[in-house]
Amino acid sequence: MTETVMECRNLWKIYKDVVAVRDVSLQVREGEIKLIFGPSGSGKSTLLRCLAMLTPPSKGDVFLKGECLTKPGVDLNKARARIGFVFQHIYLFHHLTALGNVELALRHVLKMPKEEARKRAMEALAEVKMEKWANHYPVQLSGGQQQRVGIARALARKPDIILLDEPTSALDPELTGEVIDTLRDLAKKGTTMLIVSHEMPFAREVADEMIFFDAGTIVETGTPEHFFTNPTSERAKKFMMRLIKRTRRE
Amino acid sequence: MLDALQQFTLILNGVTSTIAISIISFFIGILVGLPLSFLRVYGTRGVQILIDSFEKFFRGVPELVLMLMFYFGIGLYFPFPFKNAFFTVNFVLGLRSAANQSQIFRGAIRGIGDEQMVAAISLGLSKVQSVLYVMLPQVIVYSTPGLGSEYALLVKDSAYSFVIGVIDIMAYTDWVRKATLDTVTPYLIAAFLYILLTFPIATWLDKWGSMKKRQLGLERK
Repeated sequence: MTETVMECRNLWKIYKDVVAVRDVSLQVREGEIKLIFGPSGSGKSTLLRCLAMLTPPSKGDVFLKGECLTKPGVDLNKARARIGFVFQHIYLFHHLTALGNVELALRHVLKMPKEEARKRAMEALAEVKMEKWANHYPVQLSGGQQQRVGIARALARKPDIILLDEPTSALDPELTGEVIDTLRDLAKKGTTMLIVSHEMPFAREVADEMIFFDAGTIVETGTPEHFFTNPTSERAKKFMMRLIKRTRRE
Repeated sequence: MLDALQQFTLILNGVTSTIAISIISFFIGILVGLPLSFLRVYGTRGVQILIDSFEKFFRGVPELVLMLMFYFGIGLYFPFPFKNAFFTVNFVLGLRSAANQSQIFRGAIRGIGDEQMVAAISLGLSKVQSVLYVMLPQVIVYSTPGLGSEYALLVKDSAYSFVIGVIDIMAYTDWVRKATLDTVTPYLIAAFLYILLTFPIATWLDKWGSMKKRQLGLERK
């Protein structure tokens, strides 16, 4: 059995009067790709941010390769250095070129010497086929190109896992293809990923497991085939119908 | 009787002081204002209240009152350093500018958005590193147009400093007026010199900053 890379046990996130994440437990093993989907506002992004310790969970534990990140005294910066995060709205650093964006953490988190950091950053850009754009600023790139740089920035540190929060949903439909292609490449290389996405054909192709998320909690899990042919819960059934209809229209 | 050119050459002697005060207090403003703005945004409630009070005091009290207060009032108990007029002028204008600039920078931090900070944190950078490598460079670009008018304000406010004995453009202007009893030309000369010292730099900062902001796509959407 392969090693568990990321795990959460009985995770809760409660804001003043809203429960965003309700008692969620999940595991992602080495080389596995898990895909979370569900209605908007159901807490998927919050869950991902809790797993990356960008938002502290209210209750429950998060583990990264067996190390508990939720107990006091953990060096969270060190932990975050081992987790890649790709944002829905990308958030590239405006004042840095594509290369600068990818290099930053290599220089200042991994403390690589300049030359080595540059080399590694170029490799990461090549992985997303953006090496030709290394010296362009984010504002000079299309949304799809920006997101590919965002992915390169997340994977340059060679993190244990990459968490992707709806990486294509802020992009124009004609630009999602190039990002999906990039993710497909990563999947082929055996990158461990936890993805929030509604790209169903992509999910069917690469996901080892799909997780249907609604009202802050996991409603149903199963293989893509399970969800595409015979989801058990009413909510998942309805949601899949809607998604499949939408995909056909596109 | 001095002709206009002679008056001009005399008053020109004050330019060095005026420029020195404008530049020194401007940089005190940046050096104090930048940390204040970040502490105001990311600091604890107590720190925020402290900074707010500092800003209210230096922005609320007229600079003339501040200068007289520090030079004569506080200078009575602390002759060093406040009995040095040049020091006190830079101290007062510098901190007043820090209070203004802190607000300019804070607007920039808000405008750039919290997401840049979150993205930096997500890479494993510490909070201080994120501020240093991600927020600070953007805040400076974002604020530059606003800093232009802040600089112009300092050049103009430096004119108050002659009341506590700094020998600047205004001090020379006053002497020339007294010596010649000409109440028109010296002021026209002073006005001309102040415009010359404010507009080119203020306009350049504004133009450069706006261009850079556009280039980086930093404009508020």
